[in-house]
Amino acid sequence: MKRFLLIFSGVLVLAIFSQAVAKDWSEIEMQAKGQTVYFNAWGGSQTINEYIQWAARQVQKKYNVRVIHVKVSDISDVVSRILVEKAADKKTNGSVDLMWINGENFKAMKENKLLYGPFSQKLPYYQLVDLENKKTLLYDFTTPVDNMESPWGMAQLVFSYDSKQVKKHPKNMLDLLAFARKNPGRFTYPSIPGFHGTTFIKQVLYELIHDPEVLNQTVVPCDFEKNTQPLWDFLDALHPFLWRKAKVFPTSASQMVSLLNDNEIFISFSFNPNSVSNAIKNGELPDTIRTYIHTKGTIGNAHFVGIPFNSSARQGAMVFANFLLSPEAQARKADPTIWGDPTVLDTQKLVGRDKVLFDAVPKGIATLTPKELGQGLPEPHVSWVQALEKKWLEIYSK
Amino acid sequence: MSGQAKGRIFPVVVISFFCVTILAGLFGTLLPSLNYLPVIGYTRISLSAWFDFFSYPGIQASFLVTVFSGITASVGVVSLAFLFITFSYGTALWKFFEKILSPVLSIPHAAFAVGFGFLIAPSGWFIRMVSPALTGFTIPPDWIILNDPAGVSLTIALVIKEFPFLIMVTMGALGQLDIKKTLLVGRALGYSKEQIWLKILIPRLYPHLRLSIFAVIAYSLSVVDMAIILGPSSPSSLSVLILKWFNDPDVSFKLLAAAGSLFLFVIVLLSILCVYFMERAVGVFLRPWITNGNRRCFLSPLKPIIFFMGCGTLFFTAVSSVILVIWSLTWQWRFPDFLPTTWTLTFWAKGLMSSFDPVMTTLFTGVASAFIGLLLAIGCLEHEVAAGKTKTRNYTGYLHYFLYLPLLVPQITFMAGIQFFLVIMKLDGYWISLMVSHLLFVLPYMFIALSATYLAFYERVTDQAMLLKRSYIIVLFRVKLPMLIKPILFSFAIGFSVSVAQYIPTMLVGAGRFSTITTEVVSIASGSDRRAIAVYALIQQFLPMVMYAFAIILPKILYYNRKGMQV
Repeated sequence: MKRFLLIFSGVLVLAIFSQAVAKDWSEIEMQAKGQTVYFNAWGGSQTINEYIQWAARQVQKKYNVRVIHVKVSDISDVVSRILVEKAADKKTNGSVDLMWINGENFKAMKENKLLYGPFSQKLPYYQLVDLENKKTLLYDFTTPVDNMESPWGMAQLVFSYDSKQVKKHPKNMLDLLAFARKNPGRFTYPSIPGFHGTTFIKQVLYELIHDPEVLNQTVVPCDFEKNTQPLWDFLDALHPFLWRKAKVFPTSASQMVSLLNDNEIFISFSFNPNSVSNAIKNGELPDTIRTYIHTKGTIGNAHFVGIPFNSSARQGAMVFANFLLSPEAQARKADPTIWGDPTVLDTQKLVGRDKVLFDAVPKGIATLTPKELGQGLPEPHVSWVQALEKKWLEIYSK
Repeated sequence: MSGQAKGRIFPVVVISFFCVTILAGLFGTLLPSLNYLPVIGYTRISLSAWFDFFSYPGIQASFLVTVFSGITASVGVVSLAFLFITFSYGTALWKFFEKILSPVLSIPHAAFAVGFGFLIAPSGWFIRMVSPALTGFTIPPDWIILNDPAGVSLTIALVIKEFPFLIMVTMGALGQLDIKKTLLVGRALGYSKEQIWLKILIPRLYPHLRLSIFAVIAYSLSVVDMAIILGPSSPSSLSVLILKWFNDPDVSFKLLAAAGSLFLFVIVLLSILCVYFMERAVGVFLRPWITNGNRRCFLSPLKPIIFFMGCGTLFFTAVSSVILVIWSLTWQWRFPDFLPTTWTLTFWAKGLMSSFDPVMTTLFTGVASAFIGLLLAIGCLEHEVAAGKTKTRNYTGYLHYFLYLPLLVPQITFMAGIQFFLVIMKLDGYWISLMVSHLLFVLPYMFIALSATYLAFYERVTDQAMLLKRSYIIVLFRVKLPMLIKPILFSFAIGFSVSVAQYIPTMLVGAGRFSTITTEVVSIASGSDRRAIAVYALIQQFLPMVMYAFAIILPKILYYNRKGMQV
């Protein structure tokens, strides 16, 4: 009897709560009607731009919210701009209503109180997000998310290689070094500081560090030298065999796709397990390219959308963020023929038509299965980023 | 008639506009460099940002690369320009240059840099042309050509891009010299054409070119978009580094960026001062050479080389456009194929559709800023003419001192400061602010392009017209301006292309509300798909070319029945 009462009251509370949430949400939807949302997001990929256009069209049709994709080449530009707006005390009508962020940028915005929130708990589709298995949705580069940004997609470091040129791909960093020695000039990583380059050296550090636990905590300056020595030794050994003998580094991970296509390099890497399949479909890469990860796993994280504190279309922004979380939008995003960005939703929680949507997502020709991808190593504490970048510049930037 | 000449409001407005914006911009950058940026909690003035700047890892290398590429490019392009005029003035090549210059100049820097990069990279077109036939390469060689650490490819690209600009300014200034007479007298005295140029005409030409040369120096030292695409990456040149700092998620880097951009400004000032003192020194040391009576020209053997280099700049510019066209139509193109294996129009279809809005913004902003620039420029020039006639104070004369200010101060240095003030005054994000920020750079170029020809107008015509019809305005619009329609339209086209090419002002002042085709090109260039980049770069190139074509064709149509206007 007691148990029944407990369950009953639990369900009642949940029902009342969800009604309250639903009532809140329908109010938000009402206010959102007719709003224009300036969505600032990286514009360097036509595939992603087209996906955003599709999402904007859906949201216009369904919710009467107009979304304008403001293409930026670096989201830090936008953080700078919002900072200036805060300095000038611009509390309403901010120039940005929603932005695509994660990691360092999120930390900067959260610490400087540039974000509106917490808000993601208000989004109905947020209930479907896989918070149990995808820890990185709660801690963005170890900064607690606290509902200040809404999840959008997942990322994991995957390596890509030309199967025509490379018969046996490396299984860990030491293998990679051996590969570079045998094939000088056919591997590289983007310049530091930079998201992709820094993640590569983080991955090296993960594999070579004596005690991986220290990476979860703030960096301790006196132990830093000792902890990172294997990393610098490795890079010292690797650099003479890199593309352009490490005198030139690609400026971005995207440039590495062209290099792989031209066969200037044989091995590259990216953050989207589906990007290679997508690139093959677009003719950006030949169909001999395949992906792999290292046997002990590779770093993974998530990317989000956030709402600046001074947006005057925040209801519209929330409606759009909610749509981006919908099974329809997430399934389409996960389709490697469209974009291929992994979903943040827990596909086990889905039922009926939503589940069918995800089952129908084709597997990319060069994509690893979720089982092969594994869980993804967590990002180190964000303080490691700056420390590693600074040291790398000191040693290698002359 | 005493007092002031008519229309002095024009130069006064323009001068105040330049001074206020640039001073505000510099001030808005000076404060953060001294650690004063309240929004991120820095309120105590200190020099720590400067210490951080000078101790940043790799800063010496960055400084050296900047100075090397900037000064070498400037010296190179100026020498090349002078030698080129010396050897080719009056020849068929010169006449060809006169015709071809406008379309070449209209190509925006970013588009050219992208195309040039596609050509010279180890996996680029030049190597593909000879592989594997002559080189045996089936995979691209691991050569350091593009983005080389010394900045050589950047330097070469700068020379190629700035050469037509200098030639254009020179062509404008040549009208002020009495070339035919000088050549006649010189030859009568037994000197060769080249000697006359080197000893007499170029020294006389130099003062007219001085400010343009300073502008070339400032640009070469502070260029951002070309440096990102072609310059060294680790460490990059100073301007690229500053931009990276300015955008770093760690907001304390903004102080560093402010200090760095002021330092860059100081480098530019010092370089200009160096050149100024060198002028004096050269004047003293070369005087004996000028008067030594030597009739042989020791530089004659250089003639074919100079011709080759001059044509080389045209060739590279043209081929850069060609490679962009090819990439825009590519589906699959692997190394070492000479041409794509599969062609497609998909990217053009996608590109034209998605670029419609930015193109409209670019058009409106460009036309508006060029039009207002034209009004102001003509106003100032008319004032100068009127002041000359009435022998009263010529305010436009003062304008010459301020005109080059926007071109000599690195854009990064003062645009951030301007943005700060605009946000405080709640003027950012409006199209008017965007257009006005473009005007700041459009005006100088338009004025330079127009003034020489405008002031050389035969004023007796207007005097006669005034006798027939006393209204000054009517005479202006029915007689003088129609007669000057070619230079006016040409200057309009130049102003329009300058507006099209603006990147930093649009990003900062537009507050992300406005995308122009240039911001699109730069944001797409951070991606990998050369095909999409090529389409956008070509659209960006196409817009100014349309204006130039318009500037050439419209007079022909309007005045088809007037023979004197057909020249």
